[in-house]
Amino acid sequence: MIEVNNVAFTYPHTKKQIFSNYSIVFERNEITAVTGNNGAGKTTLSKLLVGILRPDAGSIVIDGADIGRMDLCAIGKKVGYVFQNPDRQLFNDTVYNEVAFGLYIMKLPNDEIEQKASHYLSLFGLTQYRDAFPGKLSHGEKQRLALAAVLALGADYLVLDEPTTGLDIRRQRELGNLLENLRSGHGCGIILITHSNEFSSCYASKRVVIAQ
Amino acid sequence: MNLARLDPRVKLLILAGLSTAALVSRSYTTLLALLAISLIILLAGSIAPITIWMKLRGLFSLIVALFVLQCLFNRSGEPLLAFTKFTLITQAGFKTAAAISLRLLVILLAALIVTTGEARDYLLSLTTMKVPYEVAFMVLTALRFLPMMREEAQDVLCAAQLRGLQIKKAGLKRQVGAYSKIIIPIVAGAVRRAEDFSIAMEARGFRAHPQRTTMRKLRMRASDWLYLAVFCAIISSIEAIAAIAAFT
Ligand SMILES: Nc1ncnc2c1ncn2[C@@H]1O[C@H](COP(=O)(O)OP(=O)(O)OP(=O)(O)O)[C@@H](O)[C@H]1O
Ligand SMILES: [Mg+2]
Repeated sequence: MIEVNNVAFTYPHTKKQIFSNYSIVFERNEITAVTGNNGAGKTTLSKLLVGILRPDAGSIVIDGADIGRMDLCAIGKKVGYVFQNPDRQLFNDTVYNEVAFGLYIMKLPNDEIEQKASHYLSLFGLTQYRDAFPGKLSHGEKQRLALAAVLALGADYLVLDEPTTGLDIRRQRELGNLLENLRSGHGCGIILITHSNEFSSCYASKRVVIAQ
Repeated sequence: MNLARLDPRVKLLILAGLSTAALVSRSYTTLLALLAISLIILLAGSIAPITIWMKLRGLFSLIVALFVLQCLFNRSGEPLLAFTKFTLITQAGFKTAAAISLRLLVILLAALIVTTGEARDYLLSLTTMKVPYEVAFMVLTALRFLPMMREEAQDVLCAAQLRGLQIKKAGLKRQVGAYSKIIIPIVAGAVRRAEDFSIAMEARGFRAHPQRTTMRKLRMRASDWLYLAVFCAIISSIEAIAAIAAFT
């Protein structure tokens, strides 16, 4: 369970207040869709959830642990995060290394890394790009790669900021089914920011609207 | 006079004047006078002291560090602070350290004066000062790109840490490795954006005509001339007094 308790947040440079006393709970074993207008603060909320931004007041508690005292590595073990802009999270020299990056750090045995990375590459239809430079992929392919790299780590919670942008209809459906499997198979808690009513009504069991 | 209303060219000249004076001045009294002048310009220009502090806070530690290093490594002159037989700080060391810190502070405050204007005003004033438009545009664009790149670097750094990369607690060697890894996407992103940017600019007619016209014209008002004159008078008299004092 991720609890957001009375959070206040203002961007320091622009003094733009996004949240004042905002509270919400995201459960495990559930896909929650988060919607709202452009600029409503969806991305801001998601960055608060994973500690990239820190609240001015209030707290965020994941499974009973306040993330205020955790560093990003520790939070990353509980929550996987996919950025809205895939360019900002691909930093390896090849597509394969991008997916294997986190697995290496987890110090898994080599054959397990190989097997897991290959599995996720094929799951997202990226096997043919295995040795390509991530920067050269198309937007939708980058998005899939970013998803593969984060989902391969198998965190209990996933925060996905508009994961369907740039994906074709077939890939969207595949992603939806995959998320549904993660929920039913592993009891993942998935927070899905999306503008697509169709996608959220198809796969999410709960819907949160962020008002400006 | 309110700095927001002052002609941008006057502000650029003040920046040039103050920083040159700070660099050539040798005595503390001169440097202190320059410091006082920059503070007066800022405060009289309705910049709140708290704003000045907020903007300089980040660089303050740098000044302090520079001061301490200069104190410790300049070993000439009489001992000022000694620990039994071991001289910790010498008089000359303290003096040069203080002078360098003061100089830096004056230059930073002078730079703050310039931050009160808008980028396009400076672009306009540089072109009226006969800097080619392309060059002026390039400089300002570079300045605008910097914060964007910093933001991007932060995002990449966060993404890597969330995927398990230890940066804070790792040793120096691992840290260097981690940072060098992260430079790749940032540089690649910047290059790609620069390419897109140049195409977008040409599509909108950048450099299509050799002669550029502008919608707004900068005009020096009487108050701007007066401000500049008073500033020049004060700075030159300070420097003159300092020169006479040094001579006698
Ligand atoms: N780094 C920042 N500094 C200052 N203001 C910001 C920053 N990032 C976002 N904002 C502002 O905060 C508000 C919320 O932004 P946010 O990115 O959370 O919106 P969003 O709901 O994700 O929108 P979108 O649907 O376009 O992705 C916006 O008005 C934006 O201008
Ligand atoms: Mg967003």
